Amino acid sequence: MPRARGGNKRLQSRRKIMRIAKGFKGKRGTSHRIAKQAVMKALRNSYIDRRRKKRDFRRLWITRIGAAARQHDMSYSEFIGGLERRNIGLNRKMLADIAVRDEKTFATLAKMAKEEAVKE
Amino acid sequence: MQRTYVAKNEERGKTWNRNWYVVNADGKPLGRLASEIAVVLQGKHKPIYTPHVDTGDYVIVINADKVALSGDKWEQKMYQRHTGYIGGLKEIPYGKLIKRRPTLPVREAVRRMLPKTKLGRRMLRKLKVYAGPTHPHIAQQPVDLSL
Repeated sequence: MPRARGGNKRLQSRRKIMRIAKGFKGKRGTSHRIAKQAVMKALRNSYIDRRRKKRDFRRLWITRIGAAARQHDMSYSEFIGGLERRNIGLNRKMLADIAVRDEKTFATLAKMAKEEAVKE
Repeated sequence: MQRTYVAKNEERGKTWNRNWYVVNADGKPLGRLASEIAVVLQGKHKPIYTPHVDTGDYVIVINADKVALSGDKWEQKMYQRHTGYIGGLKEIPYGKLIKRRPTLPVREAVRRMLPKTKLGRRMLRKLKVYAGPTHPHIAQQPVDLSL
C-alpha cells in the first residue's frame, strides 16, 4: 500500500493547529510538533475550566454573602436558612450581587432572615 | 442581570477602600486572634471580596507580646527552622522567642494562615505588629477591631 503523505489535506490540518496555537509561548506557538501537544492540553484545560467556572463562582458568591451576613451579625447558614423559611427564591448569584451593589436591600433581607431565626 | 462584581485595584478609593484597624492582643488566644486577623487582611469580611485582588484592610496589633497561650506552650511550643546543613535544625521555645523578638509569634501565626502566594505575602505587609501598647499609625485614624 502506498504511503499517505497528505498534501493539501495535511497542510490544512497543520494550519488548523497553528491557528489555535497563535500567541502561545516560545516554540509552542511556532513549531507544529510542539504546538500540537500544547493545543491538545489547552483545549482539554479550557473544557475542564468551563465546568469549573460554575463551581468557582458559586464559591465566590457564598464567600461574599457570608461576609455581608456577618456585617448583620449572622452567619452564612443562619442567613440562608432564614431566607429559605421565608420562601425567598433569590439564588446565590443574585444575593451576592445585592450585597455588593445595594446595601439597603441586603439589610432588609438580613432583617427578614433574622426574624425567622428568632421565631424558633 | 449584570456580571458578577469584580474589585479592581484602580478603583480603590472610588468604589472600595482600605481601612485601618487596631487590635489589642493582650490576653487573647494566639491562634484565634491570628485567624480573625487573617480574614481581615484578606478582605474576606467584605462583600466585595475578590480572590485575585487584595481587598483587605490594614491591621495594627498592639501588646503583641502579651497574647495568651493555653497549656504548657510557653515551654513546649517550638519554633523550628532549618539551616540546610546536617543537624541544622534550630528549635526555640515560645518563651525564649517572645523575649528575643516579641512581635514574631503573632506575625508568624498570621503568616501561616494566609495564602502561600505572592498575593498572600503582599497581604502580610498590611499587618503591623507592636510589642507595647502604642503604635506610630495615629495619622491613619485606625478603628478598634472587636474580636
